Amino acid sequence: MIVIFSLGSSGFFDIVNFQNIIHLSTGAFLLAAAELLVVITGGIDLSIGYVYGLSSVLGAKVMQILYAGGAGGAGGAGAMPTAQVIALGCLAALSVSILPGLANGVLVTRFRVPPFIATMGMWGICNGITLFLADGFMPVMGAPSEINAIGNSYFLYIDPSKSISFFAKPSYITQANIRSVLRLVPNSLFLSLLVLLVLGFVLGRTRFGKHTYAIGGSMDAAIRSGINVNRHLVMIYVIASFVSGVAGLFNLFQTGIGNYTPSGANYELMAVAAVVIGGASLTGGKGRILGTAVGVLVLAVLENGLQIIGVSAFYRYIGVGVLLTIAVIIDRAFPDLF
Amino acid sequence: MQTETAEKKGALPELLGRNWIAIFIVLLVVFFSVVARSFFSFDTAQLIFFNGTEVFLLAIAELFVIITGGIDLSVGFVMGFATVVSSKLMVACVALGFSPFWSILAASVVTLLIGLVPGLVNGWLVAYLRVPAFIATFSMLGVTHGISELMTQGIPTKNLPALAGDIGNGSFFYVAPGGAISFFSRPQVARGQTVLAIIPNMVIFAFLFIFLFAFILGKMKFGRHLYAIGGNIDAAIRSGINVKRDLIKAYVISSLFASLAGLSYVMKYITGKPDAGANMLLEAIAAVVIGGASMAGGSGTVGRTILGALVIAILETGLRIIGMQTFMTYILVGVILILAVIIDQVFPNRNR
Repeated sequence: MIVIFSLGSSGFFDIVNFQNIIHLSTGAFLLAAAELLVVITGGIDLSIGYVYGLSSVLGAKVMQILYAGGAGGAGGAGAMPTAQVIALGCLAALSVSILPGLANGVLVTRFRVPPFIATMGMWGICNGITLFLADGFMPVMGAPSEINAIGNSYFLYIDPSKSISFFAKPSYITQANIRSVLRLVPNSLFLSLLVLLVLGFVLGRTRFGKHTYAIGGSMDAAIRSGINVNRHLVMIYVIASFVSGVAGLFNLFQTGIGNYTPSGANYELMAVAAVVIGGASLTGGKGRILGTAVGVLVLAVLENGLQIIGVSAFYRYIGVGVLLTIAVIIDRAFPDLF
Repeated sequence: MQTETAEKKGALPELLGRNWIAIFIVLLVVFFSVVARSFFSFDTAQLIFFNGTEVFLLAIAELFVIITGGIDLSVGFVMGFATVVSSKLMVACVALGFSPFWSILAASVVTLLIGLVPGLVNGWLVAYLRVPAFIATFSMLGVTHGISELMTQGIPTKNLPALAGDIGNGSFFYVAPGGAISFFSRPQVARGQTVLAIIPNMVIFAFLFIFLFAFILGKMKFGRHLYAIGGNIDAAIRSGINVKRDLIKAYVISSLFASLAGLSYVMKYITGKPDAGANMLLEAIAAVVIGGASMAGGSGTVGRTILGALVIAILETGLRIIGMQTFMTYILVGVILILAVIIDQVFPNRNR
């Protein structure tokens, strides 16, 4: 597919574009990783897309209020350093994003509500709270502008003729000649890699991971072999929800505004699609982080490639749909591929 | 009878538990009537059904698939697809010189036929290629969304014949103050006089189809086969049911009802847009589950699903009347959805 798009457009095969793909799909990476955890246990989490929006909006709201208070205080006692504002906003968003997962987990284990229903209910609840915070359908603005700098900067800046600098733009670079600077490794890549590596390690190398697969493979066998299934499931849902919260917060850093999840955005379904393209089975017990990352990349490359060769964005929906079905049919035909 | 009297102690909570939706509906009506005086009226009752037409239709669409143990995620966007196709066709027919009435009729029939295609593909993928329903219908969601966006290029369709709006927002019959009754068209009366409009056309339209398919599901062999498939697919195959064909039919019916919801939307709002039903998936599935169906398949009836959808319709209209914003609806639907499942587990034999 990469080859096709490279032939179709000269702009596609370019390091800048690849960085764009990665940068823009950070949220998708994190959401898909979150979804994978739940899918491995044989469940499904439909609420992550809205936890994502909730975290983004809540973080922005807290920052907005604190920041406005600080600026109004004019150096008085109310003034709060920007760094502190950002930290508090993050803290609030992340701690709240744990709650939907906790509720999901408790509903699924203690009350035996099917994951599909529990998380779908949570989808409605999170969506409602988000829209309440966002005051109808308004993105939340007014967070400190520094967050943009963190979200959108790169690890390494290389000015072809002169110098290399880390994290910050070389100070003499202005908007006019910024295009000549080679920007390498967006910060977002670190975040994605960090989360993916940690989750990959946990799933592949630790007892926690083994138990996760065991629960998905056979719930009864897992119970008989002495795994505390209920506690484990609650933790899985909490982690999934937390990672979605991180993704939402990252969205805030990237765009500088708190974005609610539009209805019909289907982030959670996209995440499920990526997980399935990556070889996981919805009946549980199967799936790896690497496969999921490939799944996200396939979707992201498809989206970006279609955009660059100038195909109407609307074909993207069709493309994803067709691709997903083909992936599953291939998976059925060759069960040992992944 | 004897055992029932013996268990009398537990009978009352059991009765309440089994019929909790009916009780809940009564409570909702009482609550809204207390908060907003104008709520308890014939007009509001009609408005609830009128606003809820799409929810009713989509819930039935979802029910047929859920009974077989599947799920149809595409209903919302098949509905959007139908709104786009039908409105485009109406405009085209009028442009070709047909009268508005025949344009609307022809466009509706063609839309319903085209609306069978997504279901056919879904059913084929699920039954023959053994793609999980979740994946197959999610793919169809993307495909129908993409096609309808391509057809509209981001602009909702306009310039529909005015007759469509008249039909969609009209009522079956009107009673003028003098006692005169007229069908379908609003009588000319002096300004200030109120005309009683009875039963919106779209509600009749929706319930004609719903009753027909309630009969098919409840009384015909095909309906029993669907329950058998959802209950135990292996047993259904062994007992000689043509499972693949019946599964395809279930998905086709689902897609047909989604298209009906689309038609109803076009008639009511005189426009067609791809995301017309984008956020109705939650409501459709919630209605079915509140109505007591199990996501594992094999249970659920049209009547109870309609009750489930009625809960949602009352909530939506009621909250709007007392001046709440839409976000409350999302939260409450989510909460009731989860509560429904928990209550059903406490009182498991509600459905039979």
